[in-house]
This record gives sequence, structure tokens and C-alpha cells, in this order.
Amino acid sequence: MRFFSEITKGLIKENPMFVLVLGTCPTLAVSTSVINALGMGAAVTFVLICSNIIISLIKNIVPSSIRIPIYIVVIAAFVSVVDMTMAAFLPDLHKALGIFIPLIVVNCIILGRAEAFASKNNVLYSLADGIGMGLGATLALTIVATIREILGSGTWLGIRVMPNSYEPMLVAILAPGAFFTLGFLMALMNRLKEKRA
Amino acid sequence: MKYYLQLGVILMVFCVIATGILAYVNSVTEPKIETLKAEEAVKSREELIPGCDFEEVKLRDDFSYFIATDRETKELKGYTFTSQKKGYGSTIKTMAGLDPEFRVIGIKIIDQSETPGLGANCTKESFTSQFAGKTPEQLVVDKDGGPIKSLSGATITSRAIASSLKEEIEAIKADLDKKQEQEVAE
Amino acid sequence: MKDKVLVSPAPHIHDATNIPNVMWNVVLALVPALIASVYYWGFRALFLSLLGAITAVCTEALIQYLRKVPIRVSDGSAFLTGLLLAFNLNVNAPWWMPVVGAAFAITIGKQVFGGLGNNPVNPALLGRAFLLASWPTLMTGGWEATRFGSVNGISNLSLISDQLQTIAPKAHALVTSATPLNIAHTLRDTSFVNTFTQSPALNTDIANKIFISLTDGSTLQNLFWGNVAGCIGEVSVFALLLGAAWLLWKNIIEWRIPLFYLGTVAVLTFIFGGIPGSGTSFSLPIFHLFSGGLILGAFFMATDYTTTPLTKKGRIIFGIGCGVLTVVIRMVGGYPEGVSYSILLMNVFTPLIDMVTMPKAFGKVKK
Repeated sequence: MRFFSEITKGLIKENPMFVLVLGTCPTLAVSTSVINALGMGAAVTFVLICSNIIISLIKNIVPSSIRIPIYIVVIAAFVSVVDMTMAAFLPDLHKALGIFIPLIVVNCIILGRAEAFASKNNVLYSLADGIGMGLGATLALTIVATIREILGSGTWLGIRVMPNSYEPMLVAILAPGAFFTLGFLMALMNRLKEKRA
Repeated sequence: MKYYLQLGVILMVFCVIATGILAYVNSVTEPKIETLKAEEAVKSREELIPGCDFEEVKLRDDFSYFIATDRETKELKGYTFTSQKKGYGSTIKTMAGLDPEFRVIGIKIIDQSETPGLGANCTKESFTSQFAGKTPEQLVVDKDGGPIKSLSGATITSRAIASSLKEEIEAIKADLDKKQEQEVAE
Repeated sequence: MKDKVLVSPAPHIHDATNIPNVMWNVVLALVPALIASVYYWGFRALFLSLLGAITAVCTEALIQYLRKVPIRVSDGSAFLTGLLLAFNLNVNAPWWMPVVGAAFAITIGKQVFGGLGNNPVNPALLGRAFLLASWPTLMTGGWEATRFGSVNGISNLSLISDQLQTIAPKAHALVTSATPLNIAHTLRDTSFVNTFTQSPALNTDIANKIFISLTDGSTLQNLFWGNVAGCIGEVSVFALLLGAAWLLWKNIIEWRIPLFYLGTVAVLTFIFGGIPGSGTSFSLPIFHLFSGGLILGAFFMATDYTTTPLTKKGRIIFGIGCGVLTVVIRMVGGYPEGVSYSILLMNVFTPLIDMVTMPKAFGKVKK
């Protein structure tokens, strides 16, 4: 039963973007369109699951004083492997996700979960945590990107949803738009949490 | 002391393992990536001028163009090149194909990071398609009195693309004229 | 309890000066500029201005209601913000622009930070920056000519116009469709000027001729009275100065920021304000002072209490900073006009300037 609760907690209650505020940098950078958000979300989820598993496996042989450099080595190596493999065997997908893959190394969700969860829990729960956090990040990215793409381009997933007379609000797909959107969504989350409590 | 040495050794072991894995993956994937890249360059040249062999001519350190000759008849089909120029916020790389009379066959924006929603629209078909059939003299945007319709709100981007093509076509033309003169002289 | 006691910084002097008084006086001082604008462009200018102001008031009331704080829209600060925002728009702007801009200015520019007195930058200018980033083509193009048909403010264009259309159509198109600052900005771009005609000497000549007619006496007169295309509120220097004089006389705005702002711009544009080959002349600083939104910005936006330094020395630094930035943006930046961004940037520096220039309390020992 705990396996499932570890998955679901990442969606809302401990959403990495809105609640833990981890990995906001890539969120802000790539959430200009829904397709980018989904791509980034998929890549993050994949790396997160794998790194969580590996780190949970090696947690007993890693001395605590040098755990961070080792986690980084593991994550960076993993991301590079994914990057190269994709470039060689799935060139089209790699082209679409190209810039996001190196960004995953610096995405603090990965290191954050390695440190906060995977290094303290067994492989199974770490896997669940990776799935949950990855999906939560994807969900958050998609929400931010949905707002930005609709306002900034008048489209959703590339399909026109706003009337033709709508003048796209360009600022939404520029950097300030990312901050505005994330700010409003976080305020909304806090408001909802307050109400519930 | 021994403790720190131990830590160093553990860290090293991890790094060595990670490096080993990376080196292995790299050795497997690198040749494949290289061939894919080369194929891609050929493919985009092929898209512009189909059915040709390409011969590279180096004009400057950072610029070379390709002479396209028909694979069967060995007849001159045109030229392709990639021009670069600073737009509004980034360097825009444009690949273009020319026919033997130096008219543009088609262009393709290969790399740019201009303002989203404005300059970034230069990759759109509606913008690039208007370059087809233009002579170098016609590669002037409407704001400067030419026939190229510039992107709304992104005159600088449009101007950079048009003028970079124009400049390089003229450079290629000058180079070929010079070679022809030399041939005649010989 | 907190709302019953109004806490304000020292000195606690009792007089009629209070927030509503100040704000409505500033609004009053902007009325001449609004009248000038209606005179040159008709009632659409008034319509857009009121739309901006009313939206701002409604937004403020709504947010104060949501925040469960007393609704204080009658203090006029929101009305002023909305009005100033609309003053930054082209008279051809669609009706929803002042609405969206004013709502943004009040929400993100002001209420998010806690309302009046807590905003780090001028809300009206933030609204303008937002509109400029969102709809750059609507904000920077399609200038409407005044009722006298003037876009560029040049009155003796006949001097060059006839030949220009045949010799250099591109130069002609530029002169007839752009605002004075736009023309000056474009003429400074030599690579553009060199596409006028085949002959470089002729190009320089054309550019200089245009620039001379742009800065000659009759054009400067047009700029002074407002017979030139531009944003709703910035058009008439005369009307703005009338309002500014009223505010200075009533001691509502302080002279240091406008003086040092305008002075810096005058000195710098006297030296750098020309185009390549035009040399310097005394008409250059006048041209730069009279064109664009400089007068509006210097007297009505750079003097906002909340977002400018408290100390006298600080205000001098603020004014000079705004002046330098404005000239830098006009001369080397991508935009023809730099008033709004320079004030916004200096707004951000205000806490720092205050910190550096705050006088030492009497008897305080330096650590």
C-alpha cells in the first residue's frame, strides 16, 4: 500500500514544482509550449526513476561525507548515457528533446530526491518515489506550459485554440511570463492548502 | 589521514566506473552519431538541390560553399551554402540552394534563437518560401524597399537573413568569376 | 488594529498635504496634456485614457476587496496609474490595451507587493513594459498623424521631399511614416542609410538633410506644441510643462530629479545626440528634450514618491542615472526611446541609492 502512496504524494501533496520548489530553473526555461513540457517531463521522469534506483542500491556503500559528489557522478553519467544513446538510436526524439537532456543534470529534483528519499529508503519505494515525483514534475510543467502557450501563442499542443482575432500575448512565452505564471500557480496552491488546513 | 584516503579511493572508484561506462557508450554511439550528422547535412543539401554530387569549395576560414553537379549527366545544377549573420538576439544560420544563374532555389533556417513569437517566426514556411526564385539583387526586405516581406515586429531578423544571403551569394559569384577569368587566361 | 493607526515615516508635519490631495493634483496637472491630445487626435485619446484610469480603479478596488483591506481607491493613486499608463499608448491602440495594461499595472505592479507605498517600481511604467513585451508591433508602429497631418513633426519637408521620393524612396518612406525619434534612430544606422542609393556620398547627404530638417526651428516648434505623432500623453511639451509648473508651484514634486534628469540628457545629447556627420549644435539637446516621452517621464513618472530616493543627494543621483540611461538607450540601444526603461531601472536602484546616501544620524559613530 505504501508503494502507491509514495507515487501519489508527488502529484499534489509534495509536488516537486509547486510545493517543494525544486527544479524550477528548467521549468521556467522549457515551459514555452506543451510539447516541450511533455518532452522535458518524460526525460526527467526517466532519469529520476533510474537514478533513484541506483542510488538506493549503493546507499550502503557510500560514505555519508562524500555522498553528494558521488550522487552527482551517478546522475551525470546516467544523463550522458541517455543523451548519447538517444542521439545514436533515436535521433528524431533526441532532436526534439536535445536541449533538455543536459539540463536534467542541473535539475535539482533529481539530486533532491536522491538526497531526501532514495538514500534513506529501499529500492521499491525509491522507484515509487521516482515515478511519483517525475509525474508530478510533468504535471506541473504541463500546467505552466498550457497557460503560457495559450496566452503566448494562442495554441495548445500546436493546435489553435484561441479565436483568430486574438493577439498573442508574447510576454507569456518570454522569460517574465514564466515567472508570472509560476508565481500565480504557487499562490493558488498555497491558497488551496490554507483552505484545507 | 587514512580515513580521507579511503574517501578519495571510494570516490575514485565511482568516477572510474562512471568514466568506463561513458567511454564504452561513447565508443559505441559516436560513429553512429557522426554518420547521422553527415547524412543530415547531405539530406538537407539534397532537399535543396536533389540528385547531385556536392564538391566543397573553401572560400574563407568560416565559410565554404558546395558546387552541385548532376550525378548522372555531370551537368552543373547549382550551389549550396550556409550563411551566418547576427540577427536581433542570436546568430542566424541559413542554408540556401542556388541555381546556376544564382537565383535562390530555397532556403532553410538551420539555427537561430531569436525572440519567440517575433524573430523566431523566421523558421516558418510562410517566411522562407518567399525567397525562392529571388535574384541576389532582390534579397532586400520591404522596409528597405525590396520584395521580401519582413516578419512583423522583426525587421532586424528579416534583414539579417536577407542580407547574409545576398552577401554570400555575391561572394560566391565573385569567386567563380575570378576562377573563370583564370581559366580563360590559361 | 493595524489599519486604525497609519504609520508613516518622519517628519510628521501637519498640513493639507496628504495622499489624495497629491494624487488628484497630479491628475489635474495632466489634464492640459490630455486636452492637447484630444485637440490633435480627437476623442479617442480621451476614451483610451479614461478606460485605463477606470480599469485601474476597478482592479484596485477588486483586489483590495479580495485582500480584505480597506478599499481606498478614492485616494486617486490607481486613477493616476491608469491614466499614466494610457498616456503611454498610441492613440491607435485597440481598446483592450489600456484595460489589460492597467489591470496588470495594478495587480503585478502594485497590489502584489502590498499596495500603495510598497511597489518597487512605477506601476504605470511596468504596465507599459509589459504591453511592449507582449504586443511589440502594436506598441511601436502604426502612428496616427495629428489633425494637421503631421507624423514626423517636420514642417518644411518640401525642401527635400520632391527629390527624395524619386531618388531614395526608402528614405522617403522612413520620413513619412515614423516619429522624430524613430527617424533619428534609423538615420544613425549607417548600414541602413547606405542602402538609400548607390552613392555613399549622396546617402550621407540625404541623411544629413533629413536630420537638419528634423532639428530645425519650425520642427522644434511643432514638437513643443505637440503637432507630431506619438503616445497620447507625451505629445505636447507645452501642455506638460504647464502641468509640471503647477506641481512645482504647489510643492508636490521636487525639482531635483527633473532638473538633473533633463540636464543630463541635454548635456549628453549636445555631445552625442547627432547622427554620423551631423556635428553638434544647440538644437540637438532641444530636439531630444522635446521628443518622445522625456518631459512626461521626467516630471510625472520619475518623481513618484514611492519609487524614488528619499534623500536630496539620492535624487540627484537618480536624475543623472535616468538621464544617462535614456541617452544610452536612444543612442546605442535597439529602441528609439528609452525613458520608460531608464526610469524603471533607476527605480530598482532606489533602495541602494537611499542606503548609500542616507545621512548619518547625529552622534552616530562610524563602525
